Amino acid sequence: MSVTEQGLLERDKDTMTLNMGPQHPSTHGVFRMILEMDGEIVRSSEPDIGFLHTGIEKTAEVKRYVHCIPMTDRLDYLSPPQNNLAFCLTTEKLLGLDEMPARADYLRVIMCELGRIGSHLVWLGTHAMDIGAMTVFLYAWRERELILDLNEMISGVRMMTSYIRIGGVAQDATPQWIQGVREFVDIFPSKIDEYESLLTHNPIWLDRTRGIGTLTREEAINWSMSGPILRASGVKLDWRKQRPYSRYGDFSFDVPTQEHGDVYDRYLVRIEEMRQSREIIKQAINRLPDGPYKIQDNKVSLPERDTLHTSMEALIHHFKLVSDGVKVPAGETYVPTEGPRGEMGFYIVSDGSNTPYRMKLRAPSFMAISGMCHMMADSFIADVVAIIGSVDIVMGEVDR
Amino acid sequence: MTSEEIVEKCQAALGGDLVQAEVNLGDAVIHISPEALPKAAEWLKNDPDLRFDYLSQITGVDYLEQDREPRFEAVYELHSMDHGHSIRIRVGLDEENPTVPTVTTLWKGADFPERELFDMFGFHVSGHPNLKRLLMPDDWEGHPLLKDYPLTIEEISFSHNPDHKSELIKTKSNQE
Repeated sequence: MSVTEQGLLERDKDTMTLNMGPQHPSTHGVFRMILEMDGEIVRSSEPDIGFLHTGIEKTAEVKRYVHCIPMTDRLDYLSPPQNNLAFCLTTEKLLGLDEMPARADYLRVIMCELGRIGSHLVWLGTHAMDIGAMTVFLYAWRERELILDLNEMISGVRMMTSYIRIGGVAQDATPQWIQGVREFVDIFPSKIDEYESLLTHNPIWLDRTRGIGTLTREEAINWSMSGPILRASGVKLDWRKQRPYSRYGDFSFDVPTQEHGDVYDRYLVRIEEMRQSREIIKQAINRLPDGPYKIQDNKVSLPERDTLHTSMEALIHHFKLVSDGVKVPAGETYVPTEGPRGEMGFYIVSDGSNTPYRMKLRAPSFMAISGMCHMMADSFIADVVAIIGSVDIVMGEVDR
Repeated sequence: MTSEEIVEKCQAALGGDLVQAEVNLGDAVIHISPEALPKAAEWLKNDPDLRFDYLSQITGVDYLEQDREPRFEAVYELHSMDHGHSIRIRVGLDEENPTVPTVTTLWKGADFPERELFDMFGFHVSGHPNLKRLLMPDDWEGHPLLKDYPLTIEEISFSHNPDHKSELIKTKSNQE
C-alpha cells in the first residue's frame, strides 16, 4: 500500500482482504478464512486450517487398538459412536470377524442413530442462530439433552462415550435405558414438527437460504462432497444402503434427496434424516434381540468379570487382553460408513502387532472444505455464515 | 461390477503399467507406478464400464519399519456413483525422490488431501496448483507422519555433561 500526494493511502488492488476467524463464532470451531472482498461480494476465499491439529493419526501408531477408541471419540466430537463404529468395523474386518451378535449390532445402530440426531440438532441450532433465528437453538439443545442423558445411562459418559468396542459394545443395555429410548422415540416427531414450524415456511429463512451456496450434482461429486450435501444435490448415496454394515439391511428407511443443492435443500435433507433416524431407532428398539452383546471369542473381547474367579482360561485371556491387547493380522483395509456429515471411514494398515501401523481417517468435513470455499465465490458476505453452517464442519475431524 | 471383474478389466487394459492387481479382503486393489498414474486415473474416470467419478480419499503410508521397497506409498480410494463399485490405487514412491503427479485436474476434491500428503509425508505432488503446508504451520520443519520423525523431544533441563543433548523419543511404549 502506498501513500498519495495528498497523504492518503492508495490501494494497490480493487479488492479488500478480510480475515475471518479463527475465533469467529460462526466458523464452528477454530477455522480461519481469508476473504477477498469486492464491496459486499466475496471474490475468493482461502481456507486456513490446522489450529486444532492434535496429531491423533501419529499418536495412534503407538497406541494399542483398544486405546485408539477413546481418541476416535475426539475426532467428530458431535457423534462419537459413529467414529467408534468406523474404527471397530475396519479393525474387525482385518481380524476376519464378519459377524457380530445381533444384539451388539442393534445396540450399535441405536447409538449411532442417536448420535446422528444429536449431531443434527447441534447443526440445526447453530446454523439457525448464525442466520438469526435464535429460538431454534434453545429448542434443539433441549432435545439433545435427552440424548446425552441416554448416553450417560448406557456408557457412563455424556459425550465421549467410547461405547462401541472391537467385538461388540462396552456393556449391555439396561431396562431403564431401553425405556428411555422408547420415550425419546415417542416424543421426538412432535419436536421436529416444532422446529419445522419455526423455519421451513419462514419467509426470512427462505430468503436467507434458497438459491445460496448452490452445488450441481456434477460439482458435488467432483469436489468430493459427501453425506447430506451430496444428497441435497441429487446424488442418492448412503453407505447404510450402499453397503449395509451392522445389520442396517434389517431396517426399512428412506434416503432423502433434493435437487437444487442449495442451503435450504441441505436443511430439508437433514431434517428428514432426523425423522428417518428416529424410524430406525424405533424399529431397532422394538425388535432388540436377546443374546450376548459382544462376541464370545475371548481372544478379542474381555471375558465376563464373574468368570475370572472360577475359570483359569478366562483369567489368562483377561490378563493377555489387558496387558498385551488384540493382535491384528497384517494387511490394510478401508470400510466406508455413513456418518452424520457423510462418508466416514478409517484406512488402517496393520503390521501384525497390537498397534496400528498407520491409521488414517477419511473425514467428511475435511474433504468438504475446499468445495465449501468454491461455493462462497461470488456470494454475499452475509451468506458466508449460511454456507459454512450448511456444510456443518467439525474441526475435530478436519484437523485430527 | 464385482471386485474380481474390475481387477480383470484393469489387467487387460492397463497391461504393462500395472505392477500388480489383486482382490484384498473383497476390495479391488491395483498397484501402479507414479509415471502411469495420470493416464490410468483418466482411464478409470472416463471408461463407461468403470466411471470412477468420485475421489473418496488420498492417503500416504511410510513403510520404513517394514523394510519394503519402495519405502513410500500413496493410496487413492475411488468410487463410482453410477455403478456403486470402488477401487483402491496404491502408488509406490521412491525414498530419494517421492514425487507423485497431481489428480486435481480430474477430481477437484484432491486439493486438500494432496496438500496433506506434502505436509505430513513430504511427497512432492507435481502439478498441484497450491502445494503448501496444510495442517502444520508454514515454518514447521519435518514431516510428522514419517516413521523416522520423533514422537516428541525430551528437553534436558540441566546437565553437567556438555555432550548431554536433548533426546529424541521414539517409543513404541505399549508394544511388548
